[in-house]
Amino acid sequence: MQEATYLILTALAAGSQHGYGIIADVTDISDGRVRLRAGTLYTALDRLKTDRLIAVDREEIADGRLRRYYRLTPDGQQRLAKEAARLHANALAAMRRLQPGLA
Amino acid sequence: MNDPNPLERRYRRLLAFYPRGFRRENTEEILAVLLSCAEDGQRRPGLAASADLIRGAVRMRLRMAGQPPRVVRLAIRLMYAGVVAQLAALAVYIVTLGRVRSAVSRRYPGLAAAQHALNVNVTIHYIAVPVGLAAWLFLLRALVRGNHRARFGLAVYFAATCLSVLIAIGQESAQLAPADLIAGGAQWLITLAVTVLLFTAASSRYYRPEPRPVIPWRGTFGTM
Repeated sequence: MQEATYLILTALAAGSQHGYGIIADVTDISDGRVRLRAGTLYTALDRLKTDRLIAVDREEIADGRLRRYYRLTPDGQQRLAKEAARLHANALAAMRRLQPGLA
Repeated sequence: MNDPNPLERRYRRLLAFYPRGFRRENTEEILAVLLSCAEDGQRRPGLAASADLIRGAVRMRLRMAGQPPRVVRLAIRLMYAGVVAQLAALAVYIVTLGRVRSAVSRRYPGLAAAQHALNVNVTIHYIAVPVGLAAWLFLLRALVRGNHRARFGLAVYFAATCLSVLIAIGQESAQLAPADLIAGGAQWLITLAVTVLLFTAASSRYYRPEPRPVIPWRGTFGTM
């Protein structure tokens, strides 16, 4: 799973969000390291919708413009949990070797 | 006349690169996000934002239907390499035309006959190469969209490529136009590899003639 995809799913794990909210949340989650742009975000959202990992939650009109909220599907939650466990196990293995007494 | 929102107009122009169905579904939403991310008084999209939108549009247009297996992904990559190979072969043909003309003249002492033979060959190339490239691109587009019939189109294309290489060998290309023959041979190898990859069991499962999931902005997969 690409990092941008992982971060988008993570942003949606706490609840539904609209596009701009996802961009802001991903910047926050990654400590400013990953700054998603609209083209990247909507290409990823379209793929995630096709793979049924996310779905449209609701639509709103804010300041005369369409705002669409996305949420994780049960498949998306499962996929994210699996990926997070995998990354956690890898990180733990690395930490154990770097600092045997701490991890 | 004063443009009320030049930034929005310019973003709309960039979004025009996306597939029509996707635009219909998402343009207003993406515009809202783009304008939210813009700085006060910004009139033009930034270079990075423009590049990102164009890259997204290209990815969207090249995206494959469903979850293709590795062999299909490899075959499609080879088909993109095939486009480059065909353009390279055309360039080789144009660059070496003078050398081939001299070789034909030496081989056939009767200049008129040599000229005639070469003119026929040149005409055939100028028609065949663009037609071949157009057919290749058409098949590539259909295969990316998951069209199962396109595999059989590819088999016909491969047969035509075999015939073309045999004709080139029969016309003494090895002696008269070795560079052209090598370029043609490279294309033939790519077509052979793509054909083999697309007729494996894994590819056949992917290209089975059954309805695929519907993407809201693209319609049912498996249609051309």
